[in-house]
Amino acid sequence: MVYAEYWNPKNEKLPREELQALQLLKLRRMCEWAYVTTPFHKRKFDAAGFKPDQLKTLDDIRRIPFMTREEWMESEMKKPMFGDLLATDPINAIRYHLTSGTSGRTPIRVLDGTKDWDWIAEMWCYGLWAFGVRPEDIVYFAFGYGSFIGFWGAHYACEKIGALVIPGGAQTTEARIRQIIEMGATTVCSTPTYALHLWQKAREMGIDLAREGKVDKLICSGEPAGSIPAVKQQLEEAWGAKCGDTAGMTELGTIMIFECSHQPGGTHIIEDHFIEEVLNPANDEPVGYHALGERVVTSFGRGFIPVIRYRTKDMVMKVPASTCSCGRTWDLYDGGIRGRWDDMKLVRGTNVYPRAVEAIVREYPAIDEFQIYIWRRDDLQDEITIRVELKPGHEAKWPELRVKLAKDLAQAHEGLRFNIEHMDYGVLPHFELKAKRLVDARPVAQYS
Amino acid sequence: MAATNIDLLGHTLTEQEQELLNIYESLKRLAKQDDLPPCAARNVRKALSSMWQVTNDLDLQFEQLYDLGV
Repeated sequence: MVYAEYWNPKNEKLPREELQALQLLKLRRMCEWAYVTTPFHKRKFDAAGFKPDQLKTLDDIRRIPFMTREEWMESEMKKPMFGDLLATDPINAIRYHLTSGTSGRTPIRVLDGTKDWDWIAEMWCYGLWAFGVRPEDIVYFAFGYGSFIGFWGAHYACEKIGALVIPGGAQTTEARIRQIIEMGATTVCSTPTYALHLWQKAREMGIDLAREGKVDKLICSGEPAGSIPAVKQQLEEAWGAKCGDTAGMTELGTIMIFECSHQPGGTHIIEDHFIEEVLNPANDEPVGYHALGERVVTSFGRGFIPVIRYRTKDMVMKVPASTCSCGRTWDLYDGGIRGRWDDMKLVRGTNVYPRAVEAIVREYPAIDEFQIYIWRRDDLQDEITIRVELKPGHEAKWPELRVKLAKDLAQAHEGLRFNIEHMDYGVLPHFELKAKRLVDARPVAQYS
Repeated sequence: MAATNIDLLGHTLTEQEQELLNIYESLKRLAKQDDLPPCAARNVRKALSSMWQVTNDLDLQFEQLYDLGV
């Protein structure tokens, strides 16, 4: 069967002047909604002297105060569980999810109503359809289906598209590989790291996924690696499939960017449902095309918790829609999400905050100094190693300490495996002021 | 919101768009009825939620539906 190329041809090809007029209208209505329903936003708008009726042009978005994760967490702590961010009665909610928080950080908790949850899938439909997912596809989700939002929206999007969905929930990697082969899956949704792990495990099992499998599309999310050319090439060769990148956030509930089947080296922004500003984080001024900046997102989706001018700390570079040959009028992020402006590190899909690690390490009085060393094994898999120096005279505690520290760190980071390495005393740098205990030795992505 | 013959950008609705918007408005009216049996009340809301996506994607409306439990 022949299908339309676009999920929503009307808006995916909307002339940019009309697209911007639509964004302005939605922005004004979302701000009006937030102002009258959400104490969090009313307080912030009032403090900034902003009224929604001041939005006459899209440039007026700069009148709206920023929303930060720190404010969100503070509100949750002051008024558990959701702070004063809810725009409607929780009785209207049908889903609860939260960010992959770590020790010492309050997770962001979200509720969705019926139409919000449908909308989350709808955004995934834009992306999945653009990359070629169709009703004939058999889509395998290598995903744990927990309270982290992950691929939940993609699962429902594939059902909506009419594809056959295989939820590969709690099972071993080997079992997942067997299901992918047995069921003739044509599409696999996974983090890039886990997609590589699946391939490596398949090789150990004597299975050549590129030859024996039917997968022709890998949909990646959760890590920047899906847009890193070297990783994408490895995945495409390993699986014999095209690899497409997407990126989303729990704060939004869904993806806001996707790579289309033309694979232009970047991800289209779903601009009829989001405004994505790119600002210089040093002075908050907008940067133009082809300049690195910080993503600031406004969503027109989830009305339950309005997200307006949310500072993401994601590092991006916007390029015009004409960069891609697919015909969409939506701008792109060249190279997808390129990294973070803050100190959060993403290791195999899990957020790692150096301060949270330190909080755990410092529970061990036998440790004198330490270093968080993040590196990449065989150019494939990210690893995190905690290098520790013991206080002189405490060496006998090492065997037990090594096991317990690894366990404590893993428990605080969704099971992420930490390597623990004993260093001779005096090898690590010691600090008096502003300590720099984090070393990220992973290669910097090359996009040219 | 009353049914209209233009979209959010001021374009005249096509016949298909008009029909989609009419269905959406019908579902809203149904969702307001408080004497529907549960099988109707919940499935009407599910259908309304789906039609919200269609009409929102096509720029026919942009509104919230929490007062209808959607």
